[in-house]
Amino acid sequence: MAQFSLPQNSKIEVGQYFKDKTKSRNLKKVNVYRWDPSTGKNPRVDTFEVDMDNCGPKVLDILIKIKNDIDPSLTFRRSCAHGVCGSCAMNIDGINGLACIKSHSDINGDLNIYPLPHLKVVKDLIGDLTTLYKQYESIQPWLKVDQTGTEQTELRQSQKEREKLDGYYECILCACCSTSCPSYWWNGDKYLGPAVLLQAYRWINDSRDGDKKERLKKVADELKLYRCHTIMNCTNSCPKGLNPAKAIGSIKKMLATG
Amino acid sequence: MQEKNPLSPHLQIYKWHISSLLSITHRIVGVVNIFIIIFICLWCLTLFFGQSNYQIIQSTLTTKFGKFLIISICWTFSFHILNEIRHLFWDAGFGFDLKTAKITGVSVLIGSLILTILFYLIGRNFF
Repeated sequence: MAQFSLPQNSKIEVGQYFKDKTKSRNLKKVNVYRWDPSTGKNPRVDTFEVDMDNCGPKVLDILIKIKNDIDPSLTFRRSCAHGVCGSCAMNIDGINGLACIKSHSDINGDLNIYPLPHLKVVKDLIGDLTTLYKQYESIQPWLKVDQTGTEQTELRQSQKEREKLDGYYECILCACCSTSCPSYWWNGDKYLGPAVLLQAYRWINDSRDGDKKERLKKVADELKLYRCHTIMNCTNSCPKGLNPAKAIGSIKKMLATG
Repeated sequence: MQEKNPLSPHLQIYKWHISSLLSITHRIVGVVNIFIIIFICLWCLTLFFGQSNYQIIQSTLTTKFGKFLIISICWTFSFHILNEIRHLFWDAGFGFDLKTAKITGVSVLIGSLILTILFYLIGRNFF
């Protein structure tokens, strides 16, 4: 049975309140989840008053501003800052997304920022994605061919065959979808989750791959695949606008129709 | 990861979408329906033990609470059936678009209410 409430050491406490020092009139209250591994205390939610007149348009700009001007100990992952690397995936205003492409002007009232749901927290907004990466490895995300390498011929792919990968190859593995899925919350150790299944479908669907049957067989499992109940939180949260629910549905259909 | 690391909040903070709300409702209603079917079977079985046993349930179901119960049952069944049709379409590979899923979801909700009213009117010999 899944545990719906948070364990004792994860209960969130009220944190510090950082009052604005710039005397700005355009303030936004930003509530950020904090947890410091060195203190041994429970996680807390700190509130920052941020001067919006001197802040960039995205949620990531707010976080960087807080780190630069208010509290340098705030910890989060970020890299490319334009939605390509997937590092800054977090829960913004109740929905998973990339902080670097989410405009804070879309959000009325206070801004709530939490790490990706149902992960072990490493520090502040950083969740531990080890399980997800292991699962990704388990589907063998590389081209498997019969060629030995001595043939010296290309693996050709027609335009039509290439189009079949549209909507799947764009996945950046930010884990927004997997960590938004209630099924993945309760069965994350066994169920592969939307991100990995979308990738699995991407390789099953690749015309150059020679291992389609084996791939399908490997993924056809009560727990690995069929824990998907089309809740569609994954599709609702994907920052790249992809459709993991459809990919999973397509795998199920392939297995059913043979 | 070590035991001391906290678990990030999930149900507590995640926003509901129509799709997730209908999904959990579908599940709960499914379980409720199983109990209702068992109850109806038992009710029929009481016929074997004479009319008086049957009458006890009959009379409880004609009270205000009983009527509320019956109307609720009409809704749980119509909702489950309509949403199951939606699931069948998904199994056939249609309706995964975010927009389509939202539209079908809302129409299932509205449709289930209409069906409930229809059942009620048919039951009252309205037509």
